[in-house]
Amino acid sequence: MMWGFKLEFKQNLRTKKFWLIIVIMAVLYIPSFYFMKSFFLQSGEHITNEAAMSMLINSITGMTSFFVAILALLIGATAINSEIEKGTLRIAMSKPIKRLHYIGGKFLAHCLVLLIALLFSTIVSLLGILYLGGSFTTQLVVDVFLLNMLLLLAMIQLVALGYIISTVIKSSNTALGLAIILMFVIFMIVPSIVNFLAIKNTANSPNANIEEMQKLQKEYTTKYLFYDPISQVKVITEDVSTTLSKNPRDILNVRYNGVAYAIRNNLTNFAHIIWLTILYLSIGFYRFVKMDLR
Amino acid sequence: MILRIEGLVKNYGDVRALDGLNLEVKQGQVYGFLGPNGAGKSTTILGTVGLIFPQKGRIELFGTEVFNEGKYDENTLVEAKKKIGYMPEHATLWDFLTPVQTLDIIGEAFKIPKAERSKKIEEVLKLVGLWEVKNKKVGNFSKGMKQRLLLAQSLINDPDFLILDEPMTGLDPSGIAEFKNVIRDLNKEGKTVFFSSHILAHVEEICDTVGVIVKGKIRLEGNLETIKREFLQKAGYTIILETTRKVSFEDAEWKVTPLGEKKYRIVTSHDIREELHDFVASQGAKILTMQVKEPTLEEIFIQMVE
Ligand SMILES: Nc1ncnc2c1ncn2[C@@H]1O[C@H](COP(=O)(O)OP(=O)(O)OP(=O)(O)O)[C@@H](O)[C@H]1O
Ligand SMILES: [Mg+2]
Repeated sequence: MMWGFKLEFKQNLRTKKFWLIIVIMAVLYIPSFYFMKSFFLQSGEHITNEAAMSMLINSITGMTSFFVAILALLIGATAINSEIEKGTLRIAMSKPIKRLHYIGGKFLAHCLVLLIALLFSTIVSLLGILYLGGSFTTQLVVDVFLLNMLLLLAMIQLVALGYIISTVIKSSNTALGLAIILMFVIFMIVPSIVNFLAIKNTANSPNANIEEMQKLQKEYTTKYLFYDPISQVKVITEDVSTTLSKNPRDILNVRYNGVAYAIRNNLTNFAHIIWLTILYLSIGFYRFVKMDLR
Repeated sequence: MILRIEGLVKNYGDVRALDGLNLEVKQGQVYGFLGPNGAGKSTTILGTVGLIFPQKGRIELFGTEVFNEGKYDENTLVEAKKKIGYMPEHATLWDFLTPVQTLDIIGEAFKIPKAERSKKIEEVLKLVGLWEVKNKKVGNFSKGMKQRLLLAQSLINDPDFLILDEPMTGLDPSGIAEFKNVIRDLNKEGKTVFFSSHILAHVEEICDTVGVIVKGKIRLEGNLETIKREFLQKAGYTIILETTRKVSFEDAEWKVTPLGEKKYRIVTSHDIREELHDFVASQGAKILTMQVKEPTLEEIFIQMVE
């Protein structure tokens, strides 16, 4: 198992995909903190600790739910077919290594690579928040850790979905294309449609208000988007803080509840992330163990 | 017995690649596995190393059954693979590694201790002639160099049984001669060698046994001389003849196709050069040029299929 892990990890750190995503995240997020800072300076507002934490959670989630998610799906979708194309898999599997151990090691390496990408976005966000005037607390450390674990689970689900694609589609280029289409259609367009329906249906109801709409959005996401781990994470992180002011533009006036609370409050959504991951991984591993490697 | 395959069947969808193949490789042999493109050579080899799943048949390695009726016994297979060196066809190694790093990783898969590993790496790289470039990136290697590294990776565990899929394809004549020497030396050390090719010249001089696979079945097996004789009998000689004037072959017993005004192709099962001279002279003509062609392996394969 360790053999496959080492090999895969080394290989991943050399891929352009990985570094490209890291660079894009840095380039997009560092200036955004700079602009926020100048906004605060102009408006003369002071950032509270609670607001800082809530911004931190949103920043990390926002960054990873797009970029790291793409990375995860692409890594997964080309994990096996590209190695069959190159022929390295035939060499590796002609050595005294069991298939399940090899794919297990590969999977661990992918988890580590994604964790590194997550930690990178976490560090960028943390530094950003400090720059905006927030400060470190114990809860912040605990919550950032919990959030990273939650996001990692969501990313693992995407990798696992990728493995299935990778064992079904022989050509890694086709698989790459399909992964990108899936990313946009299933993980972006469909969620927007579901959200739009929630908004529309609230507007039609007699006692329409923001809370009603949020409730319906959450209900729809849980019901119709259970296969989208990012939407599930977003439902959970919604509850990390509560906006106190009735004015939605008043982003600094929040009560901070914490990540643990948010997870406990949304166990169904958390369960969706877990059971689908297990299902995808089992299918992907099973197919790999039984497949022709040519 | 090093390898025994019985009744192996492999279908890829509707394509039957192996059609009940039987094969035996004995201790100490250099076995040449000949066959035209698509005959099922790679499929046989991939099945032997457990990389594909045949639907039927049995495979024994080193006297132990590793595959039976659609299933591999993974523990036995892993044990057998410790003593096997396999070189795939059309494979590339990791571009970003050097030969030393590549062999180090492969050696690690065999759990060869660090110190022993570096000794073995040096030995193997010197054997295949890559010691000079041991710290260069594999990505920049020529095709021939990559081929050598593929051979090197199959030797790192000092295997008893070498399985090489088209190891000489893409090498130039001097490369082929060199390769044959390496095979000969390895065989002298006691290694059994099994390799595939679609070119007759590749198995000449080094193989004691040759098996010919066509459409997923072994059609001929034995030593090279016997096989060649059988080949010639089946496919015959082809003679391209040019004469000083038009000759009528109507009374002749040979199969003749006119190629031009005074040019003919004649196919026979034995050497008829003497008889041809007399036949042409009897019509008052002379032979201008005469080319005798032995059948190519491709032509023989085509005949065998028909
Ligand atoms: N993945 C696949 N899907 C469908 N058919 C396949 C597949 N792989 C091989 N085949 C078919 O199986 C047959 C045997 O192929 P194989 O690669 O074993 O032949 P080969 O003797 O090694 O040929 P070559 O000299 O071209 O390497 C061929 O007809 C080939 O087209
Ligand atoms: Mg082949």
